[in-house]
Amino acid sequence: MLKSLTTIAATLAVSTALFAGAASAQEAKTIGLAVANLQADFFNQIKQSVEKEAQAKGIEVITVDAGGDSATQVSQIQDLITRDVDAIIYIPAGATAASVPVQAAKTAGIPVVAVDRNPPDAPADTFIATDSVAAAEELGNFVCKTTGGKGRLAEIQGQIGTTPQIDRDEGFAKAMANCPGIEEVAKQASNQWAQDEGFNIAQAMIQRDPEITIFWGQADALALGAAQAAKVGNLSDVVVVGFDGDVAGLEAVQSGTLTATMTQQTQLMGRLALDSAIKLASGESVPAMQLQPATLTTKENVEPFLTEHP
Amino acid sequence: MSTTTTEKPAAERRVPRIDFGGVAGPLIGLVLLCIGFALASEYFLSVRNALNILDQVTVLGILAIGMTMVIVIGGIDLSVGSVLALSMMMMGWLAKTAGLPLPLAMLLGVATGAACGLVSGLLVTLAKLPPFIATLAVMSVTRGLANILTDGRQIVGYPDWFTNLATIRHLGFFSVTVTVFVVLMVIAGIFLRYRATGRNLFAIGGNPEVARLAGIDVRRYTILTYVAAGALAGVAAVTMAARLNSSQPSAGLGIELDTIAAVVIGGASLAGGVGSVAGTLIGVLIIGVLRNGLNLVGVSPFFQMVVIGSVIALAVAFDTLGRHRK
Repeated sequence: MLKSLTTIAATLAVSTALFAGAASAQEAKTIGLAVANLQADFFNQIKQSVEKEAQAKGIEVITVDAGGDSATQVSQIQDLITRDVDAIIYIPAGATAASVPVQAAKTAGIPVVAVDRNPPDAPADTFIATDSVAAAEELGNFVCKTTGGKGRLAEIQGQIGTTPQIDRDEGFAKAMANCPGIEEVAKQASNQWAQDEGFNIAQAMIQRDPEITIFWGQADALALGAAQAAKVGNLSDVVVVGFDGDVAGLEAVQSGTLTATMTQQTQLMGRLALDSAIKLASGESVPAMQLQPATLTTKENVEPFLTEHP
Repeated sequence: MSTTTTEKPAAERRVPRIDFGGVAGPLIGLVLLCIGFALASEYFLSVRNALNILDQVTVLGILAIGMTMVIVIGGIDLSVGSVLALSMMMMGWLAKTAGLPLPLAMLLGVATGAACGLVSGLLVTLAKLPPFIATLAVMSVTRGLANILTDGRQIVGYPDWFTNLATIRHLGFFSVTVTVFVVLMVIAGIFLRYRATGRNLFAIGGNPEVARLAGIDVRRYTILTYVAAGALAGVAAVTMAARLNSSQPSAGLGIELDTIAAVVIGGASLAGGVGSVAGTLIGVLIIGVLRNGLNLVGVSPFFQMVVIGSVIALAVAFDTLGRHRK
């Protein structure tokens, strides 16, 4: 027993020495990437963009996925801090972004780049997101124009209390205030921004009111679910709009299943997040807010986005 | 049928001696994992990381104590994750909306968990529902109630002293929440192993009919076991709220499966009558070390799922094969 223990201790010592040698030999930075939920394409695209950019720059990225659970995410951020990363890119999971991870990282002296959601009580060093209010307003104005300013609107919201849900509600409502002919007949929230939820919610809405003419899903997945429900329910001439510009969403816009979506610049946001993380890690300053515009995407302009996502 | 009846007495006879024998397999697995991660990552082997792991498994560990007792009596509790969410939301709602003092709200949060456990226990004993279905029903109802309390919104803004329970490590080691976890583990371990009441749970799990004939009030014990599991879910809820500095209706989604896995990795049998708190602690640590180590090594999240599933299967197979050979 003692003998095997000493063997283990010796192996440990050797391996630690090896690692220490490797670490000092290369000055490459290590960035931690804490993703809210990789099952959502939007987050997955940002992750891919960050990893691609990091590979090009020779930077190591350690990715962790919270699967939508904030408790898991707190543990993962702890692990990234233990791992001694130089900066953390943080896409908060759960409803309002939890402030605990940002505080923990700040205590450890590690800079944080928040993406998509920002904890209001403990904001990150910089915040990168789409200007959802402006984008949703633009989408609302588009809906008003295509429908000729009248119709019966059903809204499928994202997860209640999250920044994107609140902002998209606000922006769309602003546009609807200038479009009195459109009547909101149904509004319901989803939990996971997921397609099957969108389908079920929309189906129940159609059951209650078969005269619905407009579906507004606050994410492409929700809108796709609603479009399918409308098809199953034999609703003709419905306008279905989504948000995000997921690959599936863009393809649906091309095929006419969705009338329009707002394409978020996930690739740009991923690159920007990595750049900001590197800058913060080397002590440079970056603006506290870096809001990006989204592009109103219809059948006319979807083509280039499908070949190369912005 | 004849094989099970002949096997049961053997299993029961082994119970008093099981504590080391049953724990040795998982313990070896845990040690191997630790050695592996220590070799793979220079960051793994440190006091700070060990304390991190303890902090990370606190909620799972507290839930697993209750689950161990439920599984020992031959039951299962699928509702713990949802009961945790309801207790958490109830605590937050009582403190923030109803304006009760937070310590009282914490106690009532735990009481909420106990009440949910009581419902499960009554459904199992009086309504004679199989535990799987009874707790599945409670799982759905409590998750719904947790969302209804605030219409799906999370509750934020607890006082500093509350979050400090989870974040400040007294004497550099144990936060209050980790201490609660360790103390509960010790109490439950002693209770299950050395108290007659605790021993009775094994008898019930081994064969409820025999236990009844031996004069054990099986119904009462069953109800109390589910109440205890519910109350522990309530304690876990308070712990998690302190850790997250918020109450969330989506908290603990799917955690019942991790909890069951931890208990089974720790050597308990889903058929009942076998299990130990020490084994469960090791099962909980295996899951905790695995998650922590994979993050430190930097394994991709998708591959992590594959590894975690494989290790769970290996750990249990290792243990059951070892048992059969004996």
